[in-house]
Amino acid sequence: MRASRRHFLKTASLMSMAGVAGPFALNLAAIGAAAAQTAPGYRAIVCLFLYGGNDHTNTLIPYDQPSYDQYFAARDTIAIARDQLAATATGAVASQGGREFAFHPALTSFKTRWDEGKLAVVANVGPLIVPTTVAQYNARSVPLPPKLFSHNDQQSVWQAQAPIGEGAKLGWGGRIGDLLAGQNANVQFTCISAGGNAVFLSGQNVIQYQVGSSGPVAISGISGTLYSSASASAAYRNLITGTSANLFENELGVVTNRSITSNQLLSASLPPASTFPLPNPTSNLASQLNVVARIISARSAIGANRQVFLVSLGGFDNHDFLLTQHTQQLTIANAAVNAFYGWLVQMGVQNDVTIFTASDFGRTLTSNGDGSDHGWGSHHFVLGGSVLGHEIYGTFPPTAFGTSVDIGQGNMMPGIAVDQYAATFARWLGVSDTDVPLVVPNVVNFGTSRYLPFL
Amino acid sequence: MLRHATAPDSTQPLDPGSCGPRTGLRLQHIRAALFAVALAFMAGGCSRSGGPEASPQGSGVNLSTVPPSAYPLPAAADAARFLNQASFGATEAEVNKVRTYGYSAWLEDQFFMPGRSHEAYINTVSASLAPGQSLDDSHVMNTFWREAATGQDQLRRRVAFALSQIFVVSLQDSTVSEFKRGVASYLDMLGRNAFGNYRQLLDEVTLHPMMGLYLSHLRNRKEDPARNRVPDQNYAREVMQLFSIGLYELNPDGTPRLVGGQPVETYDSGDIVGLSRVFTGFSWAGPDKSDTRFFGGGMQDPDREVLFMQSYPSFHSISEKRFLTAVIPAGTNADPDGDLRIALDTIASHPNVGPFISRQLIQRLVTSNPTPAYVARVAQAFDAGRYTSGLWSTGTGQRGELRATVAAILLDPEARTAARLADPGFGKVREPILRTAHWMRAFNASSASGNFLLGVTDDATASLGQSAMRSPTVFNFYRPGYVPPNTSIATAGLVAPELQIVNEVSVVGYSNFMRSAVQNGLGSGSPRDIQPDYTAELALADNADLLIDRVSLLLTAGSMSAATRMIIRDAVNSVAMPATNQTTARQNRVRLAVFFTLSSPEYLVQK
Repeated sequence: MRASRRHFLKTASLMSMAGVAGPFALNLAAIGAAAAQTAPGYRAIVCLFLYGGNDHTNTLIPYDQPSYDQYFAARDTIAIARDQLAATATGAVASQGGREFAFHPALTSFKTRWDEGKLAVVANVGPLIVPTTVAQYNARSVPLPPKLFSHNDQQSVWQAQAPIGEGAKLGWGGRIGDLLAGQNANVQFTCISAGGNAVFLSGQNVIQYQVGSSGPVAISGISGTLYSSASASAAYRNLITGTSANLFENELGVVTNRSITSNQLLSASLPPASTFPLPNPTSNLASQLNVVARIISARSAIGANRQVFLVSLGGFDNHDFLLTQHTQQLTIANAAVNAFYGWLVQMGVQNDVTIFTASDFGRTLTSNGDGSDHGWGSHHFVLGGSVLGHEIYGTFPPTAFGTSVDIGQGNMMPGIAVDQYAATFARWLGVSDTDVPLVVPNVVNFGTSRYLPFL
Repeated sequence: MLRHATAPDSTQPLDPGSCGPRTGLRLQHIRAALFAVALAFMAGGCSRSGGPEASPQGSGVNLSTVPPSAYPLPAAADAARFLNQASFGATEAEVNKVRTYGYSAWLEDQFFMPGRSHEAYINTVSASLAPGQSLDDSHVMNTFWREAATGQDQLRRRVAFALSQIFVVSLQDSTVSEFKRGVASYLDMLGRNAFGNYRQLLDEVTLHPMMGLYLSHLRNRKEDPARNRVPDQNYAREVMQLFSIGLYELNPDGTPRLVGGQPVETYDSGDIVGLSRVFTGFSWAGPDKSDTRFFGGGMQDPDREVLFMQSYPSFHSISEKRFLTAVIPAGTNADPDGDLRIALDTIASHPNVGPFISRQLIQRLVTSNPTPAYVARVAQAFDAGRYTSGLWSTGTGQRGELRATVAAILLDPEARTAARLADPGFGKVREPILRTAHWMRAFNASSASGNFLLGVTDDATASLGQSAMRSPTVFNFYRPGYVPPNTSIATAGLVAPELQIVNEVSVVGYSNFMRSAVQNGLGSGSPRDIQPDYTAELALADNADLLIDRVSLLLTAGSMSAATRMIIRDAVNSVAMPATNQTTARQNRVRLAVFFTLSSPEYLVQK
């Protein structure tokens, strides 16, 4: 195992250097050794990162009367009224002892996908290094994720493995990309962010490609006439892509070069944005998903078989104005994700693409008067034609204080590790069982439950 | 006598009594703030008596009498390099001033240089709005650009901009964005404290209503166990993580203090809970302390967005407050102001503050990866409140003085020694705002309206991917510890904060934005409101080398490599000088020289 792993890395490393010279150099044949991890057809995952720490308690709300009463008693003025929840209620969920739940009233399309069996809930997931109890947390007797409750660090911890926290360099989306890039003709289109710079997509070899929500745009100065000079544009391209002994200057040239070569490839292949009409209300998130759909649509033209995408929506740090602002953001997410799923169906790839949510952390069950504060475990959604939906995976804890998972203020000790969540996507994309720990090293601490059964 | 002397503002009346945060002496600590206002904006800023915004005069410092620093009078290139760190970019006039008088005189002059108020600008705009029009974010951007481009108090502006990236509030927040004047006032507050004391700065940051809104301690209530309600923890957390001490205990040189090989956390959840109780019972200022006013309703004070928050004892927690080294015992009488003083004293006296703040200011002004020794020297000036170079010395000797800190950053051998330029890890990526401001300054850009009508430049695809006072989150546009993955920078163990917003999209946006700016100017209107003045460059346009010499001095402090120069020379010479219509040819030659230089990786990294 080790030897073949090193061989793969070495190959990919050589490849990525070759990639600078010619983007088509990285083809499947040239990297045959790594292509062992192959599943047929096209597959992609799309991470929807909710920046700020989504208030999970008001995202999936206990609905049967006793559970709702518990929720209402705990949440004071930031509880959603029960009569607003009838339309998005799930009905009894057998795996949760017959309890009923309701999606936030804005998440109407999530409820529709649930009913169709295309959407699953993963309850109380969060960063863990080993399975941990509240007693172990209080005693600090097991290794814990560092800098809990801090935004930037927990974003990193959710997205990346090492080193943990701000300054992380290896995200699990990127590590999946490392292992599967051999199946793509153009490695640079393996890990793509339409939602800004995210360490999630940084691998050891694979580099995150960032694309704007309006799609690829060209540097005008590298072609045609520049300030009346016919020859200057070629010189300009040399200037802005040049190498330097200064590391920062050099990196600017590297990024610019990657931008130019990727743009030329993509802009020749992508269908127009209007192929996938934006929803109402539209949003930047909808535009991000629009460009993702355009890239998926061009998968054959760019030789992509395995892809990892990231899109993002901010505005979830609702210390204040929780009821109004959370509703606004979930309304945006609902419309954008609904439209995206429709585009997948339009392309006939709804079984080949899985969307999932992630966020900095969950939030406190306690109210601070008008909002909630930073927490830990959180509920998340997985959506797609291959998802075994209409189910809640894991245990949805009672929405109350003093439960077996309450570490204070109703913050939940996660019952499911991000590594298990991630491992499930990695395996679905085609990473072998033996290589999954290369993506999420701590998954080995979770015994036989490395994967969750939603995919 | 300055080339960029500011236009008189005497035609722009300042609404009497509308000065940026003032309180009518409702709170004792505001008196110190007012004193600082008087010092900082002697001729141009706010005063309770109101009247027109006077034209700022000079500093009153006699430059010839300022004792010299340890450095000889600099050559032009050295002066330009200094100015690129200490201002929004070198200009010919400022280069000449630094060459003539030296670093210490320039700094002393800047320490006392008056400047214009952002809030006064907003007030003027506000007064002239047509019915149905309202203030928008562009107006805050306009005053930012006006001062970055033409303000004579450049060092204060540059430091305030650096502080705005540490003590972040953002118009991207839907609540903050309702208050353009408040945000202008916040930026004024940072400038007013740029050469003051950290403790005072922390006080004003904490009580400014824009920070109160942004980190939600405005109208934060004490706990109510019966309703499972606890105080909002937002400010308690971020004031420690971001504004003062950070997550880990630091050595005086800014490196983490290790115990048994492990870093030591500065605080835990218990400290957050304890401190969160301090930040309860503060809300909008006004003539009374009614519950309605606390919650923001009723008859609001028309100036509440520029007045420091006031305390409301009935909403302040009286529970025990235990955090860091402090314990405020449970009491019977709520004392929000007293508790706040204890809390901020405790935080500000933490030994982390010097290295934590110093390192970030170095990163904003000079280099992304200062050596620990450099950080230690600056932190020492912070702690001592005094900095000495040669025969020149500055500072009051009070711990936390930012004047001494800034001087220590700019005059440190690591900032000044040209030998550092050869270090492959030296310097910092220029952020897009600095590049744009530098272009305006280097080429004497002027605004037809006088208002520098360049608005929000968030869009990375078509503009800068960065706007002042519009950070995406309280964690700024980029983190001080950002490591670009999969790069030689990461391999070398270095950080590159500004590269967090450099990507395949942003390099396109910047290039296309600048291509247009160099030719057509910037901002709204036709012709565009902000136009460069290339007179001096046009005069050199027939000779590519002389033209490049000048552009290189102003933009790269004369550090352009031979290889880059050759590319630019060829590009300039590719526009032949015809027998007739030479004006157009000269213009295009100048545009090529400027655009190429602004796009070159050598320029994009400030060294």
